[in-house]
Amino acid sequence: MFPAGYTTISRRAMLNRSAVGFGSLALASMLGQDARADAPARPLAPAAPHFPARAKRVIFLFMSGGPSQVDTFDYKPLLTRDDGKPLPFEKPRVQFNSTANLLKSPWEFKQYGESGLWVSDLFPHVAQRVDELCMIHSMHGTNPAHGGAVMKVHTGSDNFVRPSIGSWVSYGLGTENQNLPAFVTICPTLAFGGINNWSSAFLPAVYQGTPFGNAAVPSAKAEVKYIRNSRWPREVQEIQLRQLARMNLEHQSHSGPEASLDARISSFELAFRMQNELPKVEDLSGESEATQKLYGLDNPVTANFGRMCLKARRFAEAGVRFIQVTHNDDKVQWDQHSDLKAGHEKNAKEVDLPIAGLLYDLKARGLLEDTLVWWGGEFGRTPTAEGGGTGRDHNQEGFTMWLAGGGVKGGFRYGSTDDYGYYAAENKVHIHDLHATMLHLLGLDHERLTYRHAGRDFRLTDVHGKVVTDVIS
Amino acid sequence: MVTAFLCAVLLAQTPPTSEESASQESIRHFETSVRPLLIEQCQKCHGETKQWANLRLDSREAMLKGGDNGPVIVPGKPDESMLIRAVKHVDENLKMPEEGKLTDAQIDSLVKWVEQGAPYPDGAVAKAHHRDPNHWAFQPMTPQAIPAVQNTAWPQSPIDYFVLSQLEANHLTPAIPADKRTLIRRVKYDLTGLPPTPQEVTAFLADESPDAFARLVDRLLDSPAYGEHWGRHWLDVARYADSNGLDENVAHGNAWRYRDYVVSSINQDKPLNQFIVEQLAGDLLPHESESQLHAHLIATGFLSIGPKVLAEVDQPKMRMDIVDEQIDAVGKVFLGMTIGCARCHDHKFDPIQTADYYALAGIFKSTKTMDTYVKVAKWHENLLPSAEATAIQAAYDQELATKKQSVEAFVAAADKAAKDGLAPGTAAPEKLETLYPEATTAELAKLRAALTAFETAGPDLPTTMGVAEDEVTDVAIHIRGDTQKLGNVVPRHTPPVMRGAQVPEFNTQSSGRLQLANWLVDPQHPLTARVFVNRVWRWRFGRGLVRTVDNFGLLGEAPSHPQLLDWLAQRFVADGWSLKSLHRLMLNSSTYQQSSIPQAGTVEHDFDNRLLGRFSLRRLTAEEVRDSLLAVSGQLDSTLGGPVLKVKNRGYLFDHTSIDLTDYTSNRRSLYLPVIRNNVFDLFQLLDFPDPAIPTGDRAASTVAPQALLMMNSEFVMQSADKLALRVQAEPGTTAEQLGLLTRLLNAREATSEEIESQTKLLAELEQSLASAEPDSRVRSQQAWSALCQTLLAANEFIYVK
Repeated sequence: MFPAGYTTISRRAMLNRSAVGFGSLALASMLGQDARADAPARPLAPAAPHFPARAKRVIFLFMSGGPSQVDTFDYKPLLTRDDGKPLPFEKPRVQFNSTANLLKSPWEFKQYGESGLWVSDLFPHVAQRVDELCMIHSMHGTNPAHGGAVMKVHTGSDNFVRPSIGSWVSYGLGTENQNLPAFVTICPTLAFGGINNWSSAFLPAVYQGTPFGNAAVPSAKAEVKYIRNSRWPREVQEIQLRQLARMNLEHQSHSGPEASLDARISSFELAFRMQNELPKVEDLSGESEATQKLYGLDNPVTANFGRMCLKARRFAEAGVRFIQVTHNDDKVQWDQHSDLKAGHEKNAKEVDLPIAGLLYDLKARGLLEDTLVWWGGEFGRTPTAEGGGTGRDHNQEGFTMWLAGGGVKGGFRYGSTDDYGYYAAENKVHIHDLHATMLHLLGLDHERLTYRHAGRDFRLTDVHGKVVTDVIS
Repeated sequence: MVTAFLCAVLLAQTPPTSEESASQESIRHFETSVRPLLIEQCQKCHGETKQWANLRLDSREAMLKGGDNGPVIVPGKPDESMLIRAVKHVDENLKMPEEGKLTDAQIDSLVKWVEQGAPYPDGAVAKAHHRDPNHWAFQPMTPQAIPAVQNTAWPQSPIDYFVLSQLEANHLTPAIPADKRTLIRRVKYDLTGLPPTPQEVTAFLADESPDAFARLVDRLLDSPAYGEHWGRHWLDVARYADSNGLDENVAHGNAWRYRDYVVSSINQDKPLNQFIVEQLAGDLLPHESESQLHAHLIATGFLSIGPKVLAEVDQPKMRMDIVDEQIDAVGKVFLGMTIGCARCHDHKFDPIQTADYYALAGIFKSTKTMDTYVKVAKWHENLLPSAEATAIQAAYDQELATKKQSVEAFVAAADKAAKDGLAPGTAAPEKLETLYPEATTAELAKLRAALTAFETAGPDLPTTMGVAEDEVTDVAIHIRGDTQKLGNVVPRHTPPVMRGAQVPEFNTQSSGRLQLANWLVDPQHPLTARVFVNRVWRWRFGRGLVRTVDNFGLLGEAPSHPQLLDWLAQRFVADGWSLKSLHRLMLNSSTYQQSSIPQAGTVEHDFDNRLLGRFSLRRLTAEEVRDSLLAVSGQLDSTLGGPVLKVKNRGYLFDHTSIDLTDYTSNRRSLYLPVIRNNVFDLFQLLDFPDPAIPTGDRAASTVAPQALLMMNSEFVMQSADKLALRVQAEPGTTAEQLGLLTRLLNAREATSEEIESQTKLLAELEQSLASAEPDSRVRSQQAWSALCQTLLAANEFIYVK
């Protein structure tokens, strides 16, 4: 009946008026002297999961464009053997482009770790961490075009605007650090759904993702809009905010009851705290040289993505719930319709070391245990050739994503594609199933995490999704 | 009053008991996970029509009573419940359902429900969730008498009798009338989205005639800013955007024509029934002038402007997705119904069957929305015929002919040269071009390429997004929405559950859009007028009489004032569907003119203000915030209408580079800033501008920290503050007088002497704190004023309307 968060905020507003006097308490917390003492029950307050969670947060390493499964993690000896021959079974009814015969991978695969999982030469550093990875080889989706597939991965829907998975998670679990956004996305692409991929759609706006720059901005320059003031010294802003608090309380005393007036007063306090806090979390200068090196910050090839990964770890430490990092250059990064060899090699070089560094660092700090790392693109690629035999087309019928940490089995492979890596074959996992599984690991039942909008209950998985219990440790 | 408010706060602090929330949670679980399961999986054989084993599973009593084998549930004890044992396949001879085992998740849902004591709300709720055709919104409107009230001095408008009678029934008293300053600020924002100028305030205060307010309303309704503001409301529901969004974010280069059509229709007070018919079937209407023809064609942009997956490779799916988007929009916008839900299955809650959905799909599939479905697909645009268009076409045709002729002449000359160059007696080859010298071949290729490019580009004619008739067809049911699994063909028809309007007849000559439109605006239609007046009520009072403005179905909320809703809808129709008349009716009421400060006792009984015992405060919308900043700082450019995009029609606003090609630097009203799907202007995004891909009749008004950051740190806000400061300081007079003007500009009131004093002190304080950073005292003073202005612009008093 009452708007969420109204009661406690108002209790404090009352205190302001009666006990402590006009505005002084509000001001105290505004200036960061006692930021958490009276943390009001905001919609982003940490919420209990439906059942005990295995993961507290997610880091999504999104490989925009669709990395090829048969060139990275899904080893297919028959594809090598039958290079140049026709695919011995039907291609799907709906294909993005038409493709020719089978094309073997230009990279060698080797087995790594105690688990002996196969990894291609594209990912030598990630290969060293293979015993942390839970590879799902039988992923499949519904849409063979970038736009639909990117939105599907992020929102569960390829043709409607729906809340992003990060928004659902923030809605379900709130966040641990009220001074930071619950859901951040670093250098996301503005193409293929753009903000819809981190928007809260019909969920309340507090659950939307906060973008740090976009794919056109180098990660060193990526920041939250309006997070700093270009003009006023801090002291001036403090005077402004103190005056604002005074005026707002005065206004409130003669304007009638309206819950959001209180909320707006608190929002300036939170904004001021965020403005102080965020740059600290983003500041990498305190990280040791060894750590910076671990993420490849010392090398121009890996520095851009490495910086995103390192920030992701810092956000994870600071209690951010859902962190997305996007690998997307000024083209569609992993989209090698032709020149697979050069393209994938360049791409893998940029991310391989930073990802391995992130996994190592999370593990070393004890964070991997309750941080679910999710790697993948919007789809995979065809084992058949395109682009005059030098590239591969989009393939939503079967591809690999991997998870690590956060309650999944390490050094584990689940499901498989056919002999050539075209279709998901055994233990198929749809995007909806993966979403359901990830929510499950976070302690959320995907069928119960619902929101009533336009007359019905919506959920991330729509009417689909099955938790893949076999991947859970 | 303050006491009353504090009491309310104390009351509000009492959280629901854990028992209450537990039972709410279990009922929610039942309604979302268990009831649908029982209906779909069990009640075909154990329900109203069949009772196998003499068992019914459609009420708690029936399950407790059980069938041939005894009770099937033991509340709280799933292990002892036969229902659970049966679905878990515990016993070899009792495995249900017979069609196949339920999923683990479904079984878990049932187990949990039994654990929770097997709550099974029946009666109204059960009925409400069963596609009840007797739901109030499907019934014809009935004539309403004006109710009697005790306090006959209060009502000014018939509306007031309906409101007051309910307040009185609840022993509540309306708030006192708002003062004139509050009223002019309120009504100016409500009708135009702009703050009143100090001159307007002075004039209104000076006008002591009894009809001063009514005349103010008339004046505002006549200003172009009225159509700009109310047109924007319509654009919210029409999901207006200047780009496609979704996967291929290309420019709707001609969408502005639809936007201007909406604004001018509202300003002309075009009857709403006509407005609706034009948007659905303008291309099928007769016209009396070229401008009317243009308006009709532009209006159908409503059907075309939705988001489309233009690179969808599955073409039949793309086609049906577009049809679906149209059905969804028409359903929500005009009927307040979520008809789109019936694409894959009968509507779960409303009496809309899949067949009803595909009956409507036939209408839109017989409509030409797209020119091609080949990725990247192209939407259709209608030519806007005019003398100018004819001239452009003629000039183009002539240029094309000239270009063709010059290519032919070039070939003829080259051929001749080639022939002449042949050795005597040599036979000319079939293709003389093979004999051309290299330079000639290259030149010819260039000429031909230019010609092809010219032909492909076509003439740059004035066109508008919109629809036309296509091949007329009825559509088969797509089983589970799948274009590859077709069921029976359904003749086009309107949803039979909506009773009252004349049922239209469809034929094989036309898509049926015109029939659909005429059916919608039939004065006896149970939904169209109700839905529309309710939208207007929402835009005016902050909440609809039916709060779920886009959903009048069974999951929507019941109206707070059902008689008022029906009375208003019928009055609206009787007044010729005139929006301006509806405004006058609402604005010239005591209900509207109340203060926002409630009488003692009101808040305790009616915290949410459902009974309208006071005016509800509202935050300015995104556009109002921006327009107000521009207006008070003297920067607003009030140019009307026209195109706004710098990217050409169908060009990419965003490609994979993520570089933003949109320009938001104009000082025109926010209505004229580009609405770019997938990347709405950040100031708009932050202040709850609706997602322009979805019809939205009920904008959110969130309060989040990034909004505060915007007010604190954005260049736009700081520059507006600079301009405002300069404007105020340019006024001759003392600092106190200048500060007085500031309050008049921003808040439509006089500053108190305490405020002047406090702001004067603040200026000094700010100047002092700037001392180290800024040596020039004049600049420092200017900056201090600017910082003060920024603070006032961020204040609740400026950002809220009371």
